[in-house]
Amino acid sequence: MVKRDDIYYIKKVINGHTNYFSYLVERYKDIVFSIALKVLKNREEAEEAAQETFIKAFKSLHTYRAKAKFSTWLFRIAYNTCISEIRKKKPESIPLYDIQVRDETEEIDFDEFPEKDREKYVKTALKQLADDEYTLVLLYYYEDESIEGISKITGLTVSNVKVKLHRARKKLYAILSEMLNDKLYTIL
Amino acid sequence: MNHFEKDIKLRQLLKTITPESPGPDFSNRVMKSIFEEQFSLEQLKKYPVLKKSFWVFLSLFAILIAIAVVLSIISGTYPDQSTLQNFGMDKILTGYQSFLTQLGTLPVSIASILTATSLLVLMELLFDKKFGG
Repeated sequence: MVKRDDIYYIKKVINGHTNYFSYLVERYKDIVFSIALKVLKNREEAEEAAQETFIKAFKSLHTYRAKAKFSTWLFRIAYNTCISEIRKKKPESIPLYDIQVRDETEEIDFDEFPEKDREKYVKTALKQLADDEYTLVLLYYYEDESIEGISKITGLTVSNVKVKLHRARKKLYAILSEMLNDKLYTIL
Repeated sequence: MNHFEKDIKLRQLLKTITPESPGPDFSNRVMKSIFEEQFSLEQLKKYPVLKKSFWVFLSLFAILIAIAVVLSIISGTYPDQSTLQNFGMDKILTGYQSFLTQLGTLPVSIASILTATSLLVLMELLFDKKFGG
């Protein structure tokens, strides 16, 4: 099947072909759900938030202006929906992410991770990041969102996004480095 | 390895992962909710709270009031009671006056609005039953 860009499907939906919206749902459901799951920490709630995100997007699709990427616009709705859900809940104790970040942790060779286990290690490392750090890393590295795009999605300033992303990257290196050392230690 | 190369490596590494997926019927559920939402919106557009006939009657009512006001300004008087008696309407007039006396506790303007609204709603219902299908 021919893979078309988002605008094609958006125009179709706006012109009354609602079923075309399913292509957009299929394309973005995993990322929207991943963000929701990390923020809400509950599969059911995350599915509900993801569903709400798509319904909100559908309802206000006519207001979408193609100045920004559709994904940026959609992720912003998703992020705001999750934040609203969090605010509705009772305040919980904020977990402390006290992973030691050192400059030398940047010296890591990803090829040292065996290819078959690579995904497992990366997923485990990502889980250890804070909610906002996870979202930034996922959007920047996985979804190729620009710093400006992430700033629009999260409501953070551009410089704040840069700082947070830098910190998240360092933390990720530290976690992966620790994992690699543990693995070598186990082997020896 | 410099910072830029490292960033590319990290990007490549992160691209290998498959993000978490929602349940298998997630897309169907979303689309079902969307179709339901669309249906309810269409219903709302199809059957507005105030139907077209209501606005027709309201316009007629407004026109009648306007005509009455214009006529009263032109003639400078209201229709006298002798004219009405000539039409054999004295009984109706007496009943109407006693009804107004009973409503006397309410300001006349409120009573008129309530009566007119009730009349309009009743007319709209009758009109809808007969022609609305």
